[in-house]
Amino acid sequence: MTLQVLRRSLADQRTGLVLLLVLLVVVFGSLIPTFFDDRFVVFPLLRDVATLTVVGLAQLAVLSIGHLNIAVGRMAAFGAMFMGLAYEQWHLPLYAGLVIGVAAGAAIGALTGLIITSSGVNSFVVTLAMDFALLGFVSLVYSELTTSAAFTTKPAGMQELRTFSLADVCVGPVCGTSAIPQLAIFAVLAMLAVGYLYSRARTGREMLMVGSNAVAAELSGIPVDRRIVGAHALSGGLAALAGFMLAVTSGSFTATIGSEFMLPSFLGPVLGGTLLTGGAVSIIGTFLGTSLTQVIRQGLTMLGASVQSLSISLGIILLAALSLDRVRQVISERKAVRR
Amino acid sequence: MLIAQDLVKLFPGVRALDGASLRIEPGSVHALLGENGAGKSTLIKILTGVYRPDGGTLSVGGVEVHLDSPQAASRAGVGVVHQERNLVPEFSIGENIVLQRLPAKGGLLDRAAIRAEAKRCLDLLDLDLDPDRRVRGLPVSQLQLIEVAKALSMDSSVLLLDEPTTASTPSEVERLFEVIRKLRDNGTAVLFVSHKLEEVYELCDTVTVLRDGVSVLESTPLADLAKQDLISAMVGRAHSAVDLPARPAVTAEPVLELSAVSTAAGHRDISLSLRPGEILGLYGLVGAGRSELAKAVLGLSAITAGELRVRGKAVNIKDVRDALRGHRIGYVPEDRKEEGLFLDQPVTKNIAVAVWDRLRTRIGGVSAKSERALAETYVERLGIRLSSTDKLVGELSGGNQQKVSLAKWLAAETEILIIDEPTVGIDVRTKAAFHELIWQLATDGLAVLLITSDLVEMVTLADRIVVMRDFHVCGEVVNDHEYEPTSHRVMGLIHQDAE
Repeated sequence: MTLQVLRRSLADQRTGLVLLLVLLVVVFGSLIPTFFDDRFVVFPLLRDVATLTVVGLAQLAVLSIGHLNIAVGRMAAFGAMFMGLAYEQWHLPLYAGLVIGVAAGAAIGALTGLIITSSGVNSFVVTLAMDFALLGFVSLVYSELTTSAAFTTKPAGMQELRTFSLADVCVGPVCGTSAIPQLAIFAVLAMLAVGYLYSRARTGREMLMVGSNAVAAELSGIPVDRRIVGAHALSGGLAALAGFMLAVTSGSFTATIGSEFMLPSFLGPVLGGTLLTGGAVSIIGTFLGTSLTQVIRQGLTMLGASVQSLSISLGIILLAALSLDRVRQVISERKAVRR
Repeated sequence: MLIAQDLVKLFPGVRALDGASLRIEPGSVHALLGENGAGKSTLIKILTGVYRPDGGTLSVGGVEVHLDSPQAASRAGVGVVHQERNLVPEFSIGENIVLQRLPAKGGLLDRAAIRAEAKRCLDLLDLDLDPDRRVRGLPVSQLQLIEVAKALSMDSSVLLLDEPTTASTPSEVERLFEVIRKLRDNGTAVLFVSHKLEEVYELCDTVTVLRDGVSVLESTPLADLAKQDLISAMVGRAHSAVDLPARPAVTAEPVLELSAVSTAAGHRDISLSLRPGEILGLYGLVGAGRSELAKAVLGLSAITAGELRVRGKAVNIKDVRDALRGHRIGYVPEDRKEEGLFLDQPVTKNIAVAVWDRLRTRIGGVSAKSERALAETYVERLGIRLSSTDKLVGELSGGNQQKVSLAKWLAAETEILIIDEPTVGIDVRTKAAFHELIWQLATDGLAVLLITSDLVEMVTLADRIVVMRDFHVCGEVVNDHEYEPTSHRVMGLIHQDAE
């Protein structure tokens, strides 16, 4: 029946993304001779894709329950701030600081979730308010504790994480490609963990059920409030991880980390087939959606597009993606009321 | 004058109206009665242009009309005061009254005209209200009268009042009745829909009774009818879908007992007990507080007095999770689409959602294989028809959806199951299969608390019937599975204050 066809085409959305991605890479590759340059194009491109995929996952975590996190960038800044503090003030090693920062991000996310469940206010409003509050708080801390508005202490291993690629990982005589940055390992781990959570773990599955129908979830014995807090905590923790990755890339921890995260955080998941209304997520889709936007950005930049026209193109892509999301939603609603 | 002749309305699998007629004369109040599901709402929706009939004719003031929208109905002079209030709280009383045709001058609201028109309508009702006051914060009774004024502003010659007294105090009802009598004396034809026989006798001149979509009494003078005649007309004879064999008498100790329970939802002094292997029916009119009682048992509203005992022990149930895990109590909600199911999720997840804990693999995740096996077990046991358990529940038919909703609680191995209106919107054949299923589950030892507004279903299934009215228990009937005597006793309990 048409239903099956529709459903298959929904699943095919990711196939479509892959085809579009390949097509764009071929087009840009033939227009720009240096497009496949390992060190100066592909390596930084993949590093950005890795970071923004994690940002996308941070948004996906709350989209799964049908919420939004407008403060995703500021939570990244909040987590990164604790990492900077850990390195500069407490002289902790790289991974200890990472753990502290991610925990701080998760904590601020959990607090956001608690405010939402206890006040009953819409997540959009609460995270918007949280965004403002964190902006002020983070700026204040940086201006009080640093002279140059940045924590610049680099713990051992940070420089390597920034520049190393798989070419620096050798098994015997066989080394990896110099195009894939080592930083990408965090994105891969995050994708595996989040993928496991939503497909296999009870907690993640229950989050999806909350996103699908919160009333039915409550009446099925799912602790709805706890799942909401959990999803926001996950969002905050992943945002902080993305903050870490961006700080490693740029070389320092500043208050402006994450200020560019909001738009990409929606682009990746929504292009990839995650519903804004909750109940369905796609982790691979988030990666593909993020890759697509970054390839477009990189290609247009290399073709000489200005920053302004880039923003216009990306805005248009998001709008198109959101319209697609609406179309899908209409289709699934129609499916639901067909009988 | 409004005349409806042989109205027919078909819904998929159901004849909601199958020859309904009534005749409302100017200067009289006409009562429309009928059990839940008899077709009253459908008839009202046709008279107000919400539904279009599939057969029959309608005329207002001697002219045949085709009401294909609510606007067309109000143009034809049919005004309505709905059960649910349709006022805009942030607008003034005046603006609400003339909302359907706000007077404007040069694109701007003409406030003086609004005030004058609103004043005219309020005066008709002898209501001393300031048209400029905002509606928010007014007491319920006044909202109702403003709705009447709103209906009058359209110069309605026919006024329909759909259960206008459900949420009112006696003095508010008296005020409303005065207004209705005044309208009647001015020549308006009034249709009064109510469940409360005493009100009908107090206010109305003639009555139409609907049963299964047919007018069994049509425009009959009320003076000729005794209360018993009305009840008989409403309940009629049984035509049960299935004839189930008698079940063995239940002697086990009760698993669920309520003694003198009052709740935050408004229940007073509720006592009942339920044994394993028994089907206890909870009957009452819409709004009697049955679903709310179920939710109080599940911990969704607080028990403020009395005692809830499960398997003999006094308990305090926190939430549905606690009810399920701690006490093995499940709840199949009335509104399966909104409360029971995850429509955009597959059948597997819908059935297994409450037991994911139990379906773990060695490394701790939910095993997709065990989940599928569990779902397939219950799909087979309940005879759910589908091509694959991966199908989304929203794509199933109503009957199959309801079975999935039930399967969730059977998979969770509940011992006490509260089933709320299990067969609403389900066709007759599936209904019969469902009755057999519930009967079998109880015979196998499940304790079932059955809430249904369908008297036939109640008499078919229940062992005992607890009758509720206005959030308290007004009596208990032992069901001898003879439809007529049992249904008369049940209806008698509900309407006992009418005499």
